[in-house]
Amino acid sequence: MKRMGLGLVVLALVLGFYSADALAVRNGGTFQWIAPYGISIDTLDPAATSDDKNILVILNIHRGLFGWDAKNSTYKLDLAESMTADDDGLTYVIKLKDAKFHNGRTITADDVIYSYNRLADPKKSFASSHLLVEIDGAQAYLDGKADHISGLEKIDDKTVRIKFRNPVDPGFQLWRYGTAIVPKEAAENEDFGSNPIGCGPFKLQKWTKGVEIVLVKNPEFYEPRKPYLDKLIYKIMADAAARDMAFQAGELDANLLYAAQYEKFKNDPKLSKHMMEVPEMFTRAVRFNPNFTLADGRKPFSDKRVRQAVNYAINRELIVEKYAKGKAYPARGFLAPTTPGFDPDCMSYEYNPEKAKQLMKEAGYAKGFDLTVIAGTSTAYGAGVVEAATPFLKEIGIKVTIDKMENAVLYQKYSDGEFDAAIASHSSGPDPISIMYRFHSNSPRFKQRGETSQKIDSFEQIIDLAAATRDPAMRLELVKIANDILTEEAVLWFYNYNKAVIAYQPWVHDMEPVGVEMMYQHMDNVWVDETSPRANQK
Amino acid sequence: MSFSWKNIKRRTNLLIGSALVMFVAGMAVFAPLLAPYHPTEDANILYSEEPPCEQFWFGTDIQGRDILSRVIYGSRISLSVGLFTQFMNSVIGIFMGLMAGYFGKWIDDLIMSITNILLSIPTLVFALAVMALMGPGLINVFIALGVTNWSYTCRLTRSQVLSAKRLNYVMAARALGYGKFRIMFNQILPNIMGPILVISTLGVAGAILLEAALSFLGLGVQPPTPSWGGMLAGAREKLFTAPWISIYPGMAIFLTVLGLNLFGDGLRDLLDPHITQQK
Amino acid sequence: MFAFIIRRILQFIPTVIGISFIMFVLLNVLPGSAALMTGGKEILSPEIVKKLEKKWGLDKPFHVRYLNYMVGLAKGDLGTSFIRGDKVRDIIGNRLWPTLKLAVAALAIACFIGIPLGFYSAVKQGTWVDTVTMVGAVSGVSMPQFWSALLLMYLFSVVLRWLPTFGYGNGDLKNLILPAVTLGIGYMALLARTTRAAVVEVLSQDYIRTAHAKGLSVLFINGKHVFRNTMVLILTTIGMQFGSLMGETVVVETVFSWPGIGSLMVDSIFLRDTPVTQGCIMLIIFVFMSVNLSVDILYSVVDPRIRYD
Repeated sequence: MKRMGLGLVVLALVLGFYSADALAVRNGGTFQWIAPYGISIDTLDPAATSDDKNILVILNIHRGLFGWDAKNSTYKLDLAESMTADDDGLTYVIKLKDAKFHNGRTITADDVIYSYNRLADPKKSFASSHLLVEIDGAQAYLDGKADHISGLEKIDDKTVRIKFRNPVDPGFQLWRYGTAIVPKEAAENEDFGSNPIGCGPFKLQKWTKGVEIVLVKNPEFYEPRKPYLDKLIYKIMADAAARDMAFQAGELDANLLYAAQYEKFKNDPKLSKHMMEVPEMFTRAVRFNPNFTLADGRKPFSDKRVRQAVNYAINRELIVEKYAKGKAYPARGFLAPTTPGFDPDCMSYEYNPEKAKQLMKEAGYAKGFDLTVIAGTSTAYGAGVVEAATPFLKEIGIKVTIDKMENAVLYQKYSDGEFDAAIASHSSGPDPISIMYRFHSNSPRFKQRGETSQKIDSFEQIIDLAAATRDPAMRLELVKIANDILTEEAVLWFYNYNKAVIAYQPWVHDMEPVGVEMMYQHMDNVWVDETSPRANQK
Repeated sequence: MSFSWKNIKRRTNLLIGSALVMFVAGMAVFAPLLAPYHPTEDANILYSEEPPCEQFWFGTDIQGRDILSRVIYGSRISLSVGLFTQFMNSVIGIFMGLMAGYFGKWIDDLIMSITNILLSIPTLVFALAVMALMGPGLINVFIALGVTNWSYTCRLTRSQVLSAKRLNYVMAARALGYGKFRIMFNQILPNIMGPILVISTLGVAGAILLEAALSFLGLGVQPPTPSWGGMLAGAREKLFTAPWISIYPGMAIFLTVLGLNLFGDGLRDLLDPHITQQK
Repeated sequence: MFAFIIRRILQFIPTVIGISFIMFVLLNVLPGSAALMTGGKEILSPEIVKKLEKKWGLDKPFHVRYLNYMVGLAKGDLGTSFIRGDKVRDIIGNRLWPTLKLAVAALAIACFIGIPLGFYSAVKQGTWVDTVTMVGAVSGVSMPQFWSALLLMYLFSVVLRWLPTFGYGNGDLKNLILPAVTLGIGYMALLARTTRAAVVEVLSQDYIRTAHAKGLSVLFINGKHVFRNTMVLILTTIGMQFGSLMGETVVVETVFSWPGIGSLMVDSIFLRDTPVTQGCIMLIIFVFMSVNLSVDILYSVVDPRIRYD
């Protein structure tokens, strides 16, 4: 009885905490946040960019039919009230929520059709236009062979029908922020990128170029009570060390951490309480060029055993611990842990230099070979990582030379397939099928790189099958198999998945770890309590 | 002239300066004998970012390499880069400055236009373009920078010549019918050498730090080869968490530049007849 | 004199043409493409790259692009940024004032401390003051800017909390102090050293020693003769430094999140946003040439021996 009483008390306490927490959501206050990628925000027109540095602001001004659900790592309905599929698996009927643009006008089906046609307009060549290619007729319009997207149809003011060319999951195609719904009366203006009007939780108040972007609460936001903050300020701060200082000085409410700071925060009992981390869907890896030819005409990377040997030879756990200071998760394969279809028990390579030497010997490279790896300037996935891996590769006879270059040159070389081996960060989510398709010989990427990927027939069969499968559970099973094939084939040297870390001040509540990209923070969920120095600042 | 030992001894500047310069130069020459470890081969990531201790006097970097050894070996790259580019800059700059200042008119206009152009092209663009045209490599970049960064020396020389041109000794030389080049190099140049020497010695620091910026961008010396600048640039985010990574190469740059400045000052004083007479 | 100024201003024209041509060539040979950089971390497909390049006119041959640019320039049009989509004139215009403010403030700090210091240590040549100044100057030059920036920021913003860590604020003075000091340190050192050298040079000239012999007070000599004669050198240094104060400020601008031209230019080079790079260079050369023209004119004001004929 006594014990039960205690149990009840504990339960009550726990519940109390939860409900208190839920009730205590507080309105008001100003949030000083950061735009950490680069020295400027270039545009707030969602269509005109696919660069995260702009998107992290855009997603709080603009919204689309679908959005990203960070908690469950999948898409969710956003402006869409409901979605029903037709039997053909190609056509979907989408009903819209009652929502208004920042200028007060109600959003209708016409706005959806306008926004998508604007995005795919061949004359405008928007950077995000490729997001629509799965919609029926979008490709034809993009190529200038049609005068609009044929797959879009207005049913009534609140309903729109979308037809796709393949049986795809519409949410995975349309959650990206580039497909946001924009009002024609504003979007036709030349300066829409600087004076955006959207339907998101915040609206633009003031943009001092190169300095800061000030957003204020949109009181007519379609989600009740939200957003909680009165004001949201993005400070453009490219320097990690300076951001750290500003955070320490209390001038920032939250900060994106780099490896050097992560170690400090993690080891500090106070600071570590207000930190969140997530495996981002970025797989850092070295790409092998199968056409890389030695002086004697042999092509080491066309041999699976050599690629496997590299994977066995390098102690990735140790490099993650010592070089990345624990701010990464050692990679098991291509798909990241937050990507649907990731299997925690999937096959992976352990550190086994003996096996690596054995494989090199079997492949006929017992004496090893000389290799040049191209790398960028990033600390997390650039030349430094290759430097750390060099001694391990030397053990199996591969003598590495590093060719470090700035990103513009690096991207050009990636794009042209001009490398023997290259280290890069690969997007590995959120839709496992479309993202793994880069290894399929039909993909434009594969062709573009001048056959710098190995064609794997078994993988192609499985991934094609997965794409055609409509049962979600079955699809994921096939994804797992496909991922295992890529691992077994050692298409890359799998290094790590980024661990993105945000530290926040004690007064900040309800920020969420976002696996797609940590800086995709939906600030309409976030609130600050009265201990914030900016709790009542308007 | 006053090249006697007594005079040299009096110039402590020169003594300390040459001692420092010789020390750094000695470090570069005898690096393999002095360094306790190999700067690149002895990397053990298990010892990543160890603070200074008995085993590693200056601590280790992120790759677990001994910083002392890397500072010692780094002197080879940094010293040659600094001295080489600055030497080229000075030679070209002084010559052009003398021409512009002495002859004036269209020669002045032409040379000033060239310096304007050179000064307005960002070093970065130039370095990038050189890499694209001449292929990667430290030597290419520094030949390029040596040939293009002389504008400052040139302008300084020119301004000095403009003042000096009308001084008595030049007038006298002219009256004696000395040739133009003889006046320029034998009469004017020694008398305006002071400021030029100063900015040339300071310029070495500039060149070493420029190499830092470039190698940070993958345009300078390629990893894992050590250079002071490269070591500094890589440790930017760790100034507070692992300060030893940037402090020691920073000190090395400081001591080298200090040595060169003292040396330059001392040399100038030694060569200047007026000062020795005054004392 | 008047003819000289006219000649100098006319000289601007070939210089601008020369620069724009050299820049056009240099930026043209760089590998990489702006289109590839719009995708951020993702590598865009070749079709999109091709479309974007067509949209920006990059498919046209080199000479056509150059001519178009020059025609635009003659009309005062600097073009449109590839990646930002805004007019280059507006992008640069936003950053012009902060850039000038920072450059002038840094220069002022450098002059007010560097020149007297150099003067003083030249007069006290060989004493401990001289040595300390020299060591200080050398550390000022060899100290990487990110060190001084972060150390100042740590002291004044984190520990003492007197000044904001970052940003332009609303153009407040308190935001300007730390970046200006950081930037000023290096130039201060250079000015102190050049001033000292020049003063030492002048002090050893015959006429100064004659003045001594005549029994003129040391102060008067220092004040009038020496200062006049060293002004030429100091002016040259200032004039030359103004260019780099505007263009080579990327570290300070990045650390302090200062919206200046230096970081914009470097950023645009990396993004291959050529119109912006070119606009920045045009602006820098314009300011630079104007400052140096004034310096040349001032030469003859402070040192009447210099005449332009």
